[in-house]
Amino acid sequence: MLSELLQGTDIGGFLLIQDSCTYCGRDLLKSFIEAALNREEVVHVLGFDVSEEELKDGLKSSVFQGLHFHNAFADPLGWTDNSHFTVHQFSSSGLAELLKQTAQSKPATLVIDSLSWILRHVTPTAVCHTLQQLKKGGAVKTIIGLLHEDMHSRGIVGSVCRLATSFISVAPGTKADEGLAKITRRSKSGKVMQDEQIFSIRKDLTVTVLSKPTNFGRKQSNTEEQVDPTANLTFNLRLTDSEREAKEKLALPFAFSTEKKTALLHSGPGSGKILYEPDANDDYDQEDPDDDLDV
Amino acid sequence: MAAPVSSVDKTPAECSALNVTSFQKKTRSKSISIPGTRPSVQNGQLLVSSGVTSLDYLLGGGLAVGTVLLIEEDRYDSFSRMIFKYFLAEGVVCRHELFVAATQDDPDDILQELPAPILDDVAIHRPGDQPRMSCEPQDTLDAMKIAWRYQNLPKVQSALASSSRFGHYYDVSKIMEPEIRQAAKWHRFYHPEHPPLSSGTHSPKLESYSALLKSLREVIRREGFDLNAPLPKSRNILRVGLHSLGSALWGDDLCCHDNPKNVHALTSFLYGLRALLRSSLAVAVVTVPSHLIQDRALMGSITRLCDNAIALESFKGSERETNPLYKDYHGLLHVRQVPRLNCLASQLPDHKDLAFKLKRKQFTIERLHLPPDLSETVSRVGKGESAAAACASSSAKHLDF
Repeated sequence: MLSELLQGTDIGGFLLIQDSCTYCGRDLLKSFIEAALNREEVVHVLGFDVSEEELKDGLKSSVFQGLHFHNAFADPLGWTDNSHFTVHQFSSSGLAELLKQTAQSKPATLVIDSLSWILRHVTPTAVCHTLQQLKKGGAVKTIIGLLHEDMHSRGIVGSVCRLATSFISVAPGTKADEGLAKITRRSKSGKVMQDEQIFSIRKDLTVTVLSKPTNFGRKQSNTEEQVDPTANLTFNLRLTDSEREAKEKLALPFAFSTEKKTALLHSGPGSGKILYEPDANDDYDQEDPDDDLDV
Repeated sequence: MAAPVSSVDKTPAECSALNVTSFQKKTRSKSISIPGTRPSVQNGQLLVSSGVTSLDYLLGGGLAVGTVLLIEEDRYDSFSRMIFKYFLAEGVVCRHELFVAATQDDPDDILQELPAPILDDVAIHRPGDQPRMSCEPQDTLDAMKIAWRYQNLPKVQSALASSSRFGHYYDVSKIMEPEIRQAAKWHRFYHPEHPPLSSGTHSPKLESYSALLKSLREVIRREGFDLNAPLPKSRNILRVGLHSLGSALWGDDLCCHDNPKNVHALTSFLYGLRALLRSSLAVAVVTVPSHLIQDRALMGSITRLCDNAIALESFKGSERETNPLYKDYHGLLHVRQVPRLNCLASQLPDHKDLAFKLKRKQFTIERLHLPPDLSETVSRVGKGESAAAACASSSAKHLDF
């Protein structure tokens, strides 16, 4: 499932990567950026946590044309007069203006690094409102956000996760350079798909998905085995084609011809009467029903 | 023969449109007869189906008109959303009016995802639709191979029965046809159309909730659901569906903070909502993401302010998913509150351990019970131990009863 998400088939979606201090999710975020740039998409990055050089480190320089970095690392709260992007500009109107400045033909992918920074300075309700407006479409095709779960209370993390259409929670894997990703995807119809995968990110930011963790023996919801009742029996319950034809041709006991059926269905009055003449063998003695017993 | 003979006597032209029998139920002329409702057997309240027949059974026959049903959402809002859609679909099928309010999704989108009713029992009033009678016997006789004697009976039940039938079944895999849906009258409240103001004032009410309550009151007054005003000749029920109240998108920080600033916003809204509904012919279903609300006392007061309250807990994503006890079900259902309307005691469900399963044609709620313990070692060990205690001999193990 991780590779599907990397291919970016989710349009109008909000992908949230949740990490903690034990495992940093920025490498996975960078691999998503790299994958989007390789697909020739326009990527806007709001950088709060790390500087531009650190974020661009590892990305191939050939694809930098599509990448627009908005420097919010230097002066996010606008203390000096010449800040590029402040945290208060994170609203649907502010971002629409920002995206209009770089005139592009196709809708952009917006990467937010990280949402935690914004949530500390703007009320969660305003952030959720902005994300919801962005999700509805227009200038932005997909939103990818990074959230540090240990910086916020459960309520805030839960509220933001509710808006996400896909949600990846990363944790350290068993080996040193491996990570464990728990992926949840919500489709439009309300169906929820979950998966757990071990992945590792190479130096060139490509993600290799390794085998699933063995100690979590959870069955996938979409691979339910259909039990075949005709298997494993000592007798044969299946039909070959010729047998099936013969079965269909068999005349059923009360299958009348069509003329007789119509005659019966549209029968005249009095067809329901039953005329019965008791013969000698039937005992019709109502006083003593046991009269024929030979006791 | 099970089928009545008298109907077969008449020619197809004489058979009246959909009547199989001429039996007419004797109804009291004084009681309100609105399609899709029925009086409760316990206390005579007018009941409305919630869309899920097993939920109706749990709540004492159905939802009483003028009450609020609170659904505490499950983690990913999949099953609570399903029940919300069932409620609205039932309204469309019974030809009630709808009022849908949501923030996350446009109400139009929610209405387009309603499940399709299973149609044998629903009389859809299409102008050119004739019931299938045996006017052309050659075509219809091939339809049934074995039960051909029943072919002439109409597939659609009589119009009176279908509109007064309480509770329908829906097929989740299909979407309700646009013709049925467009025949329903509905009103919408989409919160982003009413932009939130900054919460600078410390009033107990929130702008979004006030706007919602005002809009609902206006709809009730304008469309004639208000019981205080003189009622129009033909009465109908308004079904109100409010999705995800209390979530951050309504501008409420109940879910975000442990000590929210607008503590009383949702509770005063629910108080106003219940007062409004008590004096009108309306039923409301409210879903709240209770797993995000940290304050249990607040959740308790929200539950008290609604009449019926159920909580859904889905197994998806939790460690209970692999528990063999729960493998047949999709989640647990807890009944938090059942109302006492005009009576002293309420009808509590018999069993408290309930689990639900969403099947394609039905949302079933069943009693959760332990499977019988058929393992052999259970009784053997017991007998072995007691035998050893009694005999105190080393050959106790060989005693095999």
